[in-house]
Amino acid sequence: MTRTPEMLHVTVQRGTAQDSRKERYDVPARENQTVLDVVSWIQQEADPTLSYRFACRVGMCGSCAMMVNGVPRWTCRTHVSRVAGDGRLDIAPLRNLPVIKDLATDMDPFFDKWVAAEAHHHPTRGRLEEFDPIKPDSPERAEANLGIECINCGICYAACDTVAGNPDYLGPAALQRAWTLLNDSRDADRPGILAAVSGRGGCHNCHSMGSCAQYCPNGLNPMRAIAGLKRETVKAALRGKRDA
Amino acid sequence: MTHIDRHDTDILIIGTGGAGLFAALHAQQSAPAGTRITIAVKGLIGKCGCTRMVQGGYNVALGGGDSVERHFMDTIKGGKWLPNQDMAWKLCEQAVVRIHELENEIGCFFDRNPDGTLHQKAFAGQTADRTVHKGDLTGIEIISRLMEQVLARPVEKLQEHRAIGLIPTRDGSALAGVLFIDMRTGGFRLVRAKTVLMATGGGPTMYKYNTPSGDKTMDGLAMALRAGLELRDMEMVQFHPTGLLAGDHTRMTGTVLEEGLRGAGGQLLNGAENRFMFDYDPKGERATRDVVSRAIYAEMRKNNTSANGGVFISMSHLGPDTVRAKFPGMVKRCADSGFDLAGGLVEVVPTAHYFMGGVVVDPDTRTAMEGLYVAGEDAGGAHGSNRLGGNGVANSTVYGGVAGDVMGADIRSIGALRDPCPEVLQAEIARALHPLTRQPAPVHPLRAALQEAMWDDVGVMRTAAGMERGLTRVAEISEALMNVGVAGDNLAFNLTWHDWLNLRSLCDVSEAITLAGLARENSRGAHYREDFPEEGDLDASYFTVVTQRGDDLTVRRDPVQFSIIRPGETILPENEPETLVAAQ
Repeated sequence: MTRTPEMLHVTVQRGTAQDSRKERYDVPARENQTVLDVVSWIQQEADPTLSYRFACRVGMCGSCAMMVNGVPRWTCRTHVSRVAGDGRLDIAPLRNLPVIKDLATDMDPFFDKWVAAEAHHHPTRGRLEEFDPIKPDSPERAEANLGIECINCGICYAACDTVAGNPDYLGPAALQRAWTLLNDSRDADRPGILAAVSGRGGCHNCHSMGSCAQYCPNGLNPMRAIAGLKRETVKAALRGKRDA
Repeated sequence: MTHIDRHDTDILIIGTGGAGLFAALHAQQSAPAGTRITIAVKGLIGKCGCTRMVQGGYNVALGGGDSVERHFMDTIKGGKWLPNQDMAWKLCEQAVVRIHELENEIGCFFDRNPDGTLHQKAFAGQTADRTVHKGDLTGIEIISRLMEQVLARPVEKLQEHRAIGLIPTRDGSALAGVLFIDMRTGGFRLVRAKTVLMATGGGPTMYKYNTPSGDKTMDGLAMALRAGLELRDMEMVQFHPTGLLAGDHTRMTGTVLEEGLRGAGGQLLNGAENRFMFDYDPKGERATRDVVSRAIYAEMRKNNTSANGGVFISMSHLGPDTVRAKFPGMVKRCADSGFDLAGGLVEVVPTAHYFMGGVVVDPDTRTAMEGLYVAGEDAGGAHGSNRLGGNGVANSTVYGGVAGDVMGADIRSIGALRDPCPEVLQAEIARALHPLTRQPAPVHPLRAALQEAMWDDVGVMRTAAGMERGLTRVAEISEALMNVGVAGDNLAFNLTWHDWLNLRSLCDVSEAITLAGLARENSRGAHYREDFPEEGDLDASYFTVVTQRGDDLTVRRDPVQFSIIRPGETILPENEPETLVAAQ
């Protein structure tokens, strides 16, 4: 026996930043259905002009994050039943990033800040040298490991009110990556990383409101990493004064 | 006259998976100062594509009894004697350098043993603990670190640029450039380059159940076919036995539930909730991917199925808490999607996973067309008829780096940019604009029809009659597509236009897969013929080669060159044990 599917009442933000509007769609509710499936149904069955972005479908790539009922989420891993108890969904592009069209945002500012935070490895060894024999339970490594599963999906960046108020702020993801590198004993440029995260848009802008940790789908805690950066940059500044 | 934005560079790389990103880094190291390097990708850098989705890890012989020779022998035997042996050798040999580069220079941190050495495990088909990994999310670590290295360098980036045509010179002797659609604006962009690496990744998404990233539609191989390049091993589609099955309407269906679940003691149950794997193989659920896929498929044909037409995987007899502790990522993913992997039954189905076939290249990634290089899943040869788990990311990173080195060296002797053939350029533009000239209609039903046809007739188990039927069905869908239009009033980020172009690529490559499948009248690795179930004479092994001339595809068989080792021989020293892996 098949029962007639009930309808989800979905509102989608359309257009660009200059010209945005809300459109409504009725989407058949299914038993196994993610928010990404709802968005895909609208494009495939109701409105072929809808723009959005996704890739891996399983929470590994971080391409499909959107605002779902006002909250940033991976749409591929958000089951409709968890967010649309009353049968209503409001879907909008990820906050704090420029909109390209409809639900697709330009993630370049997010990644430009990743680069600005010196958030890449600075090698101490080459490809013809042995691996660094790092014990997995050493304290620095344990600290570095805490943030290593970040997939740069931009959810913390969208959740952060400091980013919303200060476009120069590097944001939680880039700063957390910098903290990971700072704790990685293999990294050759500790001073460079500390300089990069202590400038105008750096870690001291963080007001510890904690939205990054609250919304991270991987359960990471960028706020804690940023607190670590604050401590280390202050220590470095004091050392600098003492040495001067 | 359609406007084409024209752009010049020296080295153009298409794709930002393991191959494309390594090529960019190596090209920068090897090319003369001032060389312009451009990287173009269908999605976002490092985010689309499949390297990021690697769960298992990276195969590399790092001593402890293991050797490059042993890795090579496993690769040749796993590929059922079809690999290009020189390519397989270079893969195994250079993986040693590349894994050190990933850890020491790129900044990946792989899982350690308590003493600080790298932890390695054994996948099915390996005779040593060889797979380096980062938990079960190895691809994220590799791609995130590569991505941030490339972002931090002065490499020109063209994101959401879809390659639609390889444009040769007027005399056809060399590649002049690549035509793209800038997906964000919908405009055309022609990028000329002295050397081009095609590393778009394969991704057999023309099957009803498939694992690759949603952007993957075999565009690279479709372009290569039109450019007249030879494609080898096109019948070789690897199915993973346990894709999630949650209904036709959800993108979750087809995504991989990892191999380790079966290795740890997971049981497969048919619709009546009875185990069946021991009816097919004495190793039960621990048999290799191809065997398990065929057994599940056989149960499905007997209608011994679950509600959605697959079978179940059951882990709960191991203790739900144990399952949660051992497979936290998988359990959470299933829970997010509404399934209880630790305590309940989850529906699974074989799912198209990896494409062994690809462009014929030499071990330096050069192709028959001057100026064009191919690496990663777009290149054929290294895996033969079957890819070992853990050899995929090793292949893309090794050969991406090789391509970067070789292109960086080759451009020194290439004087000027080449002029593109205007007729080919116009033909490619017309091809892309074709749907805008037809009455708009839904594209999605045709994609579903192609996926049904390939799954039914050119799938896990094949026959001549089935593949002939498949060829007809693919041709009908292909023709029907030409009458399906897309509204062209706004081409900016127009996914439906790209759905049409995606399906165009998939139809073209599906025909090549089917023809190659018909040409292989034996069963090797991923290719199983019910009408030719034997592997055939190993000494007379051949590989298939498909080429397009005009609108027609032709297929031939070329003999495998046993350039290093013949069937029945080994390059391992005498008295080496068969395997170094302790029996489970």
